[in-house]
Amino acid sequence: MKAVILAAGKGDNLKPFTDTRPNPMISVAGKYLFDHSLDLLQKAGINDIFVVVGHQKDKLVEQVGEHVHNGLNLQYVVQKRAGGIGDAVLAVKDKILPGEYFLLIYGDIMTAENIFSKTQQSFHAFKGPVASICLPPSNEMFGNVFLNANMNITKIIEKPKGDDLGNYVLSGVYILPESFFGLLEKNNRSMEKAIKALVMDEGLRASMWEDEWLDVVYPWEILRANKIIMDSWERSEISKTVTLEANVTISGTVHIEDDVIIKAGAVLEGPCSIGKGCYIGNNSLIRSYTALGDNCSVGYGVELKNCVVQKNSHIGRLSFIGDSVLGENVDIGAGTMTVNRKLDWSTIKVKHQKKSKDTGILKLGAFIGDDVVIGAGNSIEPGTIVPPGKVLPAHYSVPNK
Amino acid sequence: MCGIAGAVGLKDISNVLFDGIRNLEYRGYDSCGVALMNGKGIVVKKNVGGVGDVYQKENILRHTSHMGIAHTRWATHGQVTRNNTHPFLSCDNNFAVIHNGIISNHLELKNRLQKEGHRFLSDTDTEVIPHLLENAYKKTGNVEASLLQTLKQLEGTFAMAFISNYEPDQLYCAKRESPLLLGIGDEVKFIGSDFNAFIDHTKNAVIIDDDEYAILSKDSYIVKNFVTREEVNKPITRMEWDSETSKKGGYPHYMLKEIYEQPQTVLNAMEVEEKTIDGLVSMIHKSKNAQLVGVGTTYYVTMYANYIFSSLAGRYIPAISSDEFVSLSPVSKDSFVLAASQSGETYDTIAALKHAKAKGAKTGAIVNVMGSTLSRMVDCPVLQGSGPEICVISTKAALAQMILLTRTALKLGVKNKSLTQKKYDGYMESLKSLPGIIESILNERSGFIHRIAHKHRNVKHWLYLGRGMYYPIALESALKMKEVAYVHAEGMPCGFLKHGTLAMIDSDINSIVFVPPSSEKVLYESTLASVAEIRARDGYVLGIHFDEGNRTQDLYSEELILPPVPPVIAPLIQMVIAQLFAYFTATSLKRNVDKPRSLAKSVTVG
Repeated sequence: MKAVILAAGKGDNLKPFTDTRPNPMISVAGKYLFDHSLDLLQKAGINDIFVVVGHQKDKLVEQVGEHVHNGLNLQYVVQKRAGGIGDAVLAVKDKILPGEYFLLIYGDIMTAENIFSKTQQSFHAFKGPVASICLPPSNEMFGNVFLNANMNITKIIEKPKGDDLGNYVLSGVYILPESFFGLLEKNNRSMEKAIKALVMDEGLRASMWEDEWLDVVYPWEILRANKIIMDSWERSEISKTVTLEANVTISGTVHIEDDVIIKAGAVLEGPCSIGKGCYIGNNSLIRSYTALGDNCSVGYGVELKNCVVQKNSHIGRLSFIGDSVLGENVDIGAGTMTVNRKLDWSTIKVKHQKKSKDTGILKLGAFIGDDVVIGAGNSIEPGTIVPPGKVLPAHYSVPNK
Repeated sequence: MCGIAGAVGLKDISNVLFDGIRNLEYRGYDSCGVALMNGKGIVVKKNVGGVGDVYQKENILRHTSHMGIAHTRWATHGQVTRNNTHPFLSCDNNFAVIHNGIISNHLELKNRLQKEGHRFLSDTDTEVIPHLLENAYKKTGNVEASLLQTLKQLEGTFAMAFISNYEPDQLYCAKRESPLLLGIGDEVKFIGSDFNAFIDHTKNAVIIDDDEYAILSKDSYIVKNFVTREEVNKPITRMEWDSETSKKGGYPHYMLKEIYEQPQTVLNAMEVEEKTIDGLVSMIHKSKNAQLVGVGTTYYVTMYANYIFSSLAGRYIPAISSDEFVSLSPVSKDSFVLAASQSGETYDTIAALKHAKAKGAKTGAIVNVMGSTLSRMVDCPVLQGSGPEICVISTKAALAQMILLTRTALKLGVKNKSLTQKKYDGYMESLKSLPGIIESILNERSGFIHRIAHKHRNVKHWLYLGRGMYYPIALESALKMKEVAYVHAEGMPCGFLKHGTLAMIDSDINSIVFVPPSSEKVLYESTLASVAEIRARDGYVLGIHFDEGNRTQDLYSEELILPPVPPVIAPLIQMVIAQLFAYFTATSLKRNVDKPRSLAKSVTVG
């Protein structure tokens, strides 16, 4: 079966990270979200994959290019007509043959277990269109489905207001027939309307997904995605080219890739992942759920906790980065502190798209875009978003007049 | 689009290929065919129609073979006719070919081959391939070289496979753009458009990439690139596949499937014939001393019936746990003993009924499995018709038994004049509304139940509390929690709390309270009094209640609010909620839901 991954969306809610990349190119637990999906697809027996690209497409196209030889036949399709999900799906119209079924995947969902395999298995049983459904933490952002005992979807209510519904929701994984393109065209290229039309016409069966599932919408959900993957690890993997100096302590599950140097006295508390060529300075403390991208450096005495750092970033000595996400090429000066809780232990709010959004989380640090430079001695308020390329001067208690 | 399958190594290849292409029917189903290798050479059988039809029409299963290929077609070139159906043979019948894809230069190739004297029987693009193979073999005298020469001439897309009389133990296949996988078994190898073609036999697959071909035999396989001609070292991918999944029909577990089937099982229980119910009613009516027996869940079912018979028919019919029956029951020839059992094979219940029969009592049983020991040994068997219950934990079967016992109590009430016909009709209407209400509650409440269960998954102790007929519901619901989630849950009448148990209330013990509708004023208020007692000691209370309209702020720590329903079905709806609560607690704790530890589907030991 062919799979179609939708990766053209702007992901506005994931700023500052989507200012400079498409959603699936965010790395968690040492891999791009996109690569996590590919791993699962491969294990589900899927070998022909089309990736619909649009927003920031060059980065994804470059990444797609790297995968051709990995046993997967990956091709990208550019979404020419900007618009909704329906337009993105129609971009692959000529890739699917009459009568053929294809696996459709929204690029921003993630699971640790194999949702694609499960959906295919349900398709195997139903031999007709299938939508994967799951129970989300909150129902108001999704399509709420009504089922009968045979798993026929009878009705869908999109994005209900209030908290009256506790239904299963559409989880962003479908197996659809080629005729679905016709339904999209008939329904104004609207995904929601075309799915409803499919429910009425041919019928749509549900496949219940019960394991962890996450729609990565907001930047703090990157931390959750990272945790879901790390929790699924069963064993540590340490490359034989890693240099471990004296008194390095490692506990829990860790993934440490090629050519990493860990200096004397460092402590790594798994689960955590350290990308290729990273440098971990003396006496640093890398606590659980930390993911460092390739070629990052961590100075002397730094403490990292539950944070996701993209590649090529530098964290200066004696800093604390916790419950935070850092982009690529970020340069953090010595003694920087991401404060991660309010004095009164209230939930942390993030200023998002000019609105203040309550995350419901008690401990949250900062979200720092690509190429940001932060001078020494800064302390950053919980929930702060720093846009890409921003330069924050050092903070001196004794300035040089 | 079409589906292809093939296998080499097993004895019953025609059977294997039948399952293989039937699983690929979603890729096309207008016609299908097979080519089988037997001692004498290639046999081709094909026709128009679905896989089942064609197999029957052509009597394909009759053919024994150790190797074969099969194809299910979705016409692209040429009409849906027998002649246009794959496999295709070469003129000399030495090559049989199946193909998925489109050979774009087939017209040009066909013209040339026809000029050379090849005879074509179909309008398809595929048929050029066997003739090209035949030509190449004449020149090279080698099957593999013939394949390479043929592939060089093909333009377009293909996943193709063939068998040849020249090498009766080897299966050949090649791919460009159309999908192709190998399935690797110990002494059998497969090919398929996707792994549905062989998943019943092996989960080990090799994914063939573009420009690759493979040669398979019983014991080995080799994959090469047909452009570079070099061998390719291919990794084996282990498919993630649970062969039970397709039987679960989209549900993650049988338990959830069976919970969702309850609207139907209630309907089935409502459709059990009147005269069958009347049979039970007259047995009870005639007997001086009627008793109910069951064990485990069915004990709580009969306990529920005990309340129902009292309240609806003014008749006290005690429920006795089957395992205690012999020690406790004053059974005699004036007795009628009615048992409930899903399997009809439960050891303790059979022993109880044997004892009753030996004392001369009349017996009856509500069972789900026709022909079971219980259904054969009693005077008055009632089949509840709930369909197979595969999960070891009983859900739908228990609910159906409660419905049947409620119907019996209602009829008995009319017979002994404690119910008017009008009241009877009203109650029956309420029962008939139950399936629709369960379906909407499963749809609209699952998420809330899941969230609360997930949040409290690490709670070690639960009290399940109810009054009146909600008490057996509390007991049964607590049992669900114990058996599927392995979490300590204790069912108790609310009134018991202040006789000692309140001392247990602290932050380590949570309570669930089954609150009756407020129209049952006395029960309702006394239940709320118990809630207040727990809350006053800082205990956590999850209230399952029907006060949708007038929410009482902060009465409960958390609540599951249900729409207003008639009182006769209220406890049954709460039981469904509690089934889901136990289920989601179990899945949050990663329990083996369908086969929990220390429990068997029918407990046939004493």
